[in-house]
Amino acid sequence: MKEKDASVDYKEHQLILYVEKKDGTYGPVKTGSYITKNFIDDFWYKRKKLEHEYLEKVRKGEISPIAYYMVLGELTPSELAARVRLGARKVKKHLTARYFGTITLDQLKRYCDVFNVSPVDMLQVIVTDKKNLKIIEEKTDNPFFTILKISTGKK
Amino acid sequence: MTFQHKMAAHCESGTVAALLNHAGLSISEPLVFGISAGIFFGYFESKKFPFPTFVVRNRPGQIRTGVARRTGVRFKERRFRNPEKGERVLDDLLSGGKPVACQTDFFYMKYLPDHVRVHINVHFITVVEKRGDVYVVSDCYSPNLAELDRESLMKARFAGGSFSPRGFIFHPVSIPRRIDYRTAIWKGIASAAFNMVRLPIPFIGVKGIRLFAKKVVDWPSLARDIDHLSHEIMKINIFLEDQGTGGAGFRFMYATFLREASELLNDPDLLEMSKRIMEIGDRWREISLFAARIGKRRDLGPDRLGELSAMIYERADAEERFFNDLLKLSKSKK
Repeated sequence: MKEKDASVDYKEHQLILYVEKKDGTYGPVKTGSYITKNFIDDFWYKRKKLEHEYLEKVRKGEISPIAYYMVLGELTPSELAARVRLGARKVKKHLTARYFGTITLDQLKRYCDVFNVSPVDMLQVIVTDKKNLKIIEEKTDNPFFTILKISTGKK
Repeated sequence: MTFQHKMAAHCESGTVAALLNHAGLSISEPLVFGISAGIFFGYFESKKFPFPTFVVRNRPGQIRTGVARRTGVRFKERRFRNPEKGERVLDDLLSGGKPVACQTDFFYMKYLPDHVRVHINVHFITVVEKRGDVYVVSDCYSPNLAELDRESLMKARFAGGSFSPRGFIFHPVSIPRRIDYRTAIWKGIASAAFNMVRLPIPFIGVKGIRLFAKKVVDWPSLARDIDHLSHEIMKINIFLEDQGTGGAGFRFMYATFLREASELLNDPDLLEMSKRIMEIGDRWREISLFAARIGKRRDLGPDRLGELSAMIYERADAEERFFNDLLKLSKSKK
């Protein structure tokens, strides 16, 4: 690849490509990500659509919040089981709304660590039509207790 | 000595090269990659992956072990059952001024853009320093040194699942006075070429590329809907270009390695081969751009996927010729 073909002006996502330089030598150049620059809107469109679709399934009681986060995280039940160190059969049960209620707090915390969410995020989502809202979830020394700070941002 | 942060194409080859340079051995990322026989292809369908996938590099960890075996560099490596002990050992090394490479789950690298962070346990970073509860991290994918809080680094080092890091750390402890680059380079080349054309496994090497070409037309039956299919098809571009390959699924970096090797060994045959793999890489890049465009347009009918498949088959043929010639060349140079 010629150096000029690699050049993408996109500071938000930089990467290294190896190219044929103007003097004919080969070497690295720092450039922007072509796919992020040109297709990131499409990525977020698909992501939002998936979130909405799976949130509806949670709402209807078809799946558990664990299944919701698993799909968004592009994990399989078997990989998730290995990550939370539980049996695959148990994890498959936890993916259903029916068995979600049988989960222990310790097991829920393990799932939360994998998805990087707090335990409360497994039980509710925050929906608002207010703009400029700032929502910060503050961790405490207690792993099962967080403080949710909601404030209005400056206009 | 201050650790020099530098972006690199790939996390493992970049981390190994950076640590060796810090330890006094001047070596480039492509040379590390080539000597360790990094170039590869594998097509995988497994319970561990939500969708079929492919890899374009050798098994994680083999870049370090390959370089060590072929150059005589020695690394101190440790894994931990106990996370507290893993943290203590890392902190002790850092307090002694030693930069340390850590294997981590990429998902917890908070300083990188959200959309690139996925759960994959084979991301390598160099931890340079600890300031209070924050680690200073040199990540080849970050333009600058980054900061990572203690909790995130611990989660990343001790994540479960496939290729679980178990707190794995390494750092170089000895560099030989003289390295026999001729032997190291040719062994690396022979090993890479063997993996690509001689391994009798149907999903590895050139056979793996053909399997990918054959299977990609069936992907619509595996996808939830057209948007999911589009996402997976566009990931072909990410796997080939964006996910730390240096472009064209490491083919451009391998071309740079062969070029550097030809200069180091004064070997015109390697120069010729470097031009050939650069051209092969150009066609791989056409595939990745094509995949991104048809994915965005949702133009994913049988004709278009057939076209994509034909392009991949063509790469399999070109790589079969290339790696067979490279294998012959490596045998003739012994």
